[in-house]
Amino acid sequence: MSDKNKKKFTDNPVVKAVGTQRLIALLALCVLFIFFCVASPSFRQYSTFVSIMDASYYIGFMAIGVTFAIITGGIDLSIGTVLVCSSLISGTLATKYDLPVGVCLIVGILIGAMFGLCNGLMVSKMGLPPFIATLGTMMISKGLGSIFTRAQSVTWPQSSESGGWFRNIFKVTLQTDNGLLMIPTGFILLILFAVLMSVILNKTKTGRYILALGSNKEATRLSGVNIAKYETLAYVFSGTFAGIAGVAYAATYSTLLPGNGGGMELDAIAGVVIGGTSMSGGYGTIAGTLIGVFIMSVLKIGLPFVGLQNQYQQFITGFVLIIAVFADVYNRRKKSKN
Amino acid sequence: MGETILRMERIDKSFTGVHALKGVDFDLQKGEVHALMGENGAGKSTLMKILTGIYSKDSGTITYEGREVEFKNPKEAQDAGIAIVHQELNMMNHLTVAQNIFIGREAMNGKIINDKKMNEDAKALFERLNIEIDPAETMGDLTVGKQQMCEIAKAISREVKLIVFDEPTAALTDAEIEELFKIIRDLREKGLGIIYISHRMDEIKVITDRVTVMRDGEYVGTLITKDCTKEDIINMMVGRVIYEEPKQKSMVAADAPVVLSVRHLNAGKMVKDVSFDLHRGEILGFAGLMGAGRTETARAIFGADPVESGEIYMNGKKVEIKCPQDAVAAGIGYLSEDRKRYGIILDKTITENSTMATMEEYQKGLFIDEKKERHVTEQYVTKLKTKTPTVETAVGNLSGGNQQKVVIAKWLVRDCDVLIFDEPTRGIDVGAKSEIYHLMNELAGQGKSIIMISSELPEVLRMSDRIVVMCEGRITGEIPIEEASQENIMTAATLRD
Amino acid sequence: MKRKLLSALLCVSMAAALLAGCGEKPAEPTTTTPDTPDAGGTEVAAESGDAGSDEEMLIYLVSKGFQHQYWQAVYQGALEAAGEYGVKMEMVGPASESDIQEQVQMLNNAINLKPAAIGLAALDTEACIDLIKVAQDSQIPIIGFDSGVPDAPEGAVYANAATDNYAAGELAAEETYKLIESKITDATEPVRIGVMSQDATAESILNRGYGFVDKMKSLAEAAGKKVSIEGHTNFVDKCGGTVDGADVIIEVVVPAAVQAELSVADGSALLNKEDIIAVYASNQFSGEGLVNADANLHKLGADGVVGVAFDSGKVIMDAIKSGTLSGAVTQDPIAIGYKTVELAVSAAKGETVSDVDTGCKWYTAENMEDEDIAPILYE
Repeated sequence: MSDKNKKKFTDNPVVKAVGTQRLIALLALCVLFIFFCVASPSFRQYSTFVSIMDASYYIGFMAIGVTFAIITGGIDLSIGTVLVCSSLISGTLATKYDLPVGVCLIVGILIGAMFGLCNGLMVSKMGLPPFIATLGTMMISKGLGSIFTRAQSVTWPQSSESGGWFRNIFKVTLQTDNGLLMIPTGFILLILFAVLMSVILNKTKTGRYILALGSNKEATRLSGVNIAKYETLAYVFSGTFAGIAGVAYAATYSTLLPGNGGGMELDAIAGVVIGGTSMSGGYGTIAGTLIGVFIMSVLKIGLPFVGLQNQYQQFITGFVLIIAVFADVYNRRKKSKN
Repeated sequence: MGETILRMERIDKSFTGVHALKGVDFDLQKGEVHALMGENGAGKSTLMKILTGIYSKDSGTITYEGREVEFKNPKEAQDAGIAIVHQELNMMNHLTVAQNIFIGREAMNGKIINDKKMNEDAKALFERLNIEIDPAETMGDLTVGKQQMCEIAKAISREVKLIVFDEPTAALTDAEIEELFKIIRDLREKGLGIIYISHRMDEIKVITDRVTVMRDGEYVGTLITKDCTKEDIINMMVGRVIYEEPKQKSMVAADAPVVLSVRHLNAGKMVKDVSFDLHRGEILGFAGLMGAGRTETARAIFGADPVESGEIYMNGKKVEIKCPQDAVAAGIGYLSEDRKRYGIILDKTITENSTMATMEEYQKGLFIDEKKERHVTEQYVTKLKTKTPTVETAVGNLSGGNQQKVVIAKWLVRDCDVLIFDEPTRGIDVGAKSEIYHLMNELAGQGKSIIMISSELPEVLRMSDRIVVMCEGRITGEIPIEEASQENIMTAATLRD
Repeated sequence: MKRKLLSALLCVSMAAALLAGCGEKPAEPTTTTPDTPDAGGTEVAAESGDAGSDEEMLIYLVSKGFQHQYWQAVYQGALEAAGEYGVKMEMVGPASESDIQEQVQMLNNAINLKPAAIGLAALDTEACIDLIKVAQDSQIPIIGFDSGVPDAPEGAVYANAATDNYAAGELAAEETYKLIESKITDATEPVRIGVMSQDATAESILNRGYGFVDKMKSLAEAAGKKVSIEGHTNFVDKCGGTVDGADVIIEVVVPAAVQAELSVADGSALLNKEDIIAVYASNQFSGEGLVNADANLHKLGADGVVGVAFDSGKVIMDAIKSGTLSGAVTQDPIAIGYKTVELAVSAAKGETVSDVDTGCKWYTAENMEDEDIAPILYE
């Protein structure tokens, strides 16, 4: 009987369209959310939702970008430290050199893009393994951020100050009759970028080639495709989004500490993998990536509400990661055996 | 010929929605080489996978050495003395020959691996097989043929009573095939049962004692090899008559213009001073032994590998080809010998593969015009008679012949003037083969020019209007089809400096 | 700065040349290249040395880092003292406060320079212990500063210039109690006081927590209330344990890692509790986590939950100005720097030295601009 049910489950067109792994991830997200809602009354409120959003932005942007690098069959380990580096440098320009905040934000994103370009060229033109190339830039960006700021922390302008307007990109606080109302505008931005990148991935030549070269680089090259260009582009996406994530981080947490950022990339990569993107390349979706990211931020924010310290976040995320990927591997193995 | 070692009766196997084997019978005797034939998808490999414990059967009986058996996994089959030599080599290129052969059952000195003993054992094994390979050599440094020998040595290094050869000659030169046959005959002498799977009729005639033919998962019949003709076997396989006659004369008009002209091309060790012309509407056969430099020449022309010197002219104009993009822009398409690695992207759909080389034409603003893309792909699926449920099917789910058609579609969509077919029918069954031949003739008739690299002489003789023969990186002969024969091609192919 | 970058580049090119030279050899040399962003390591030569001193004395300070502006203020004080005593002073620190290994390397370099005295704020005493012994053998006096060198071997550390963190925690508790006294005494239901601690390893941060919890407990008990300690086990064990039916609950939270969003999550969870009346954050990092958590909840304020922090920095100072935080305890980093150098000079001259408490102060929106407060606050 159970066998029959199983067959029905995987044959269901909805399941097929969404993908087993993403479905499991989505299910896990819902289960976690419902669990926290039931377990903690104070979790069930709007402000918690806003907090979850706050914790999602920077990981979310990083994850959207690195999805592209992973789809090419590569990896980008530098995104965490590039995030901190770009935000440290642009933040220093804003606070110490009094450059307009708008300009600084753009500079920050450009720094991310530059690191992405370097990674891309090293991988596609110089033929370095992505792991090595981005490990190198990971260290370089970590060091550069510290050198530039003379190893001091940087605090971006507060919302009350003149340069603090950029925080409204991610969260607008309105005065209403019932008190303050916060609108997590960053969520809209995150979704907008996700849709944009999803369209690029699935509906444009660039995305098609990135997917193709992730599946079979040589066959793509022999089809007359400039693979170096598209592989580089994937890393530029990754770096640029690390830069955008830097802006999001600055808007949410104000203060950046030099020497930090190592480890953030693993959160983002875990989100991508939970979302069903194949580490060997050739397949992946942005929607899946976002689900993976939200699982992690729900855990981060939710666990303290039920009296569990944050150590449990890593602990549980690890399980979700392994179960989600194993379910997919298991399904594939069964399929290929039939 | 002795007693029966294996009898498989009324074997039935279904996968979700597919009835792969429908009550198949098969038997094998000690000291016999028994060919198993059939088009791709006929059920040969499924039957062998059931025998070697990779799949389980739904019903039917297997009697091995007088006992009814059912192997639950490959290990059980191995322990019972059944070995399989796969078509694809499963070797670890960085390990030595001996380490490869004894992987999983290394000779030990306490906790330390005893490489010396393994080398000695491997040497003894090679002596038994009459092969000359140094067991301490790194596997990756051997030729494909030698690697195949190692695979066989690995298979018989255990106590073996039954051995399955799955297309063992696909990558071998003629000399290597001869050597392989010597080994097979030797094993037969020793009383082993041998199952031999191949698409090459000539080999079947030479090496096997009996032939069993399968079609669409059903048992068709068994023939004594020496009492039947090639045509008999082919007819059983496809259920229709196929002719395999050499081409009588060139179909190219005498005044056909030169489309592609290659002059003094040098690239690496395998392409030395290569010059030739290709005319409009011509099929130019490239013959030669393995490693003669034909594929390398094609890759150099296509810009896949760096060229050291030489010129390439398209329609009289010199073109600079530095990378595949340049070649594609110049109107050259290349169908690789290794489809799965270089030709198609297995996990992408037919549509995505077909339009891979022509994306620009399917751009609507910033986006891909998916409707147009699908429409064009459907046209080519119909035109080439590609068998597939939909154009959104992943290419990996198609048979070899249909995969090849998708690659052909990719270049036809591009409307290339020059198509380089590198081993176009390798690993493709007889029925699909003749369709591919038909297609190539049709393309030439439409004025496309084709370079066909093939290691099968009957294929070269059947398809070409003119034949270029290469040996060790140089062109050693250019023979008009009217004068060509297997003999004079082979003579040119073995000409050394 | 320029010279540093230049020498870093030189190191890189040397490593590259070495690599090119030995072909396929793995890139070992590069990993040992000192890429330390030792930003604060600026040399200061005395403008006019004491005429009497035979040679210029070198005082070498190894700090915990430069991430927090706090250390810049320490540096400023040290600079002042160096100028006054006419000694050469150099101050270095690792890139982040978790880079224990890097700090050990810096201490090693410092000892090799054979300075007249070393000032040390150890991230982890255990990790430094061998080097401390080496310094002891070479008779280089060590002066602990900031959190000092807890549990150092006997005689190695001559004296400490540090805030008495326990006392600072007590000060925070006393000031907080003043603000919530009525809420505690008038309460009919149990009330809760939250404590946010960056980690449970650093001695200085732990002591600030212990001081606060102990003092708060005794104050509440003096008012006739039953107090229960909850949360992190260190505090529960040390400060008196969990009690059923308590009137006042003190809950201590520690994030899994020093990551902003984890601290914010802890802060949100505390502020969301129905019975919360005050939250104390025991350093700059936790303070910012508390302020960021409140950005979504708006529960802190004079008429809401009382928020109290430690140290300064832009985010905390702004929050105090706007009334989100009621006040904070600040150390006197300038005094710490100054006293460290002063003690080092005395120790180097062979004089007897003893510990100096550099003090701490309570500041609020009202007294921030005062003459005795403003200089020790740093952005």
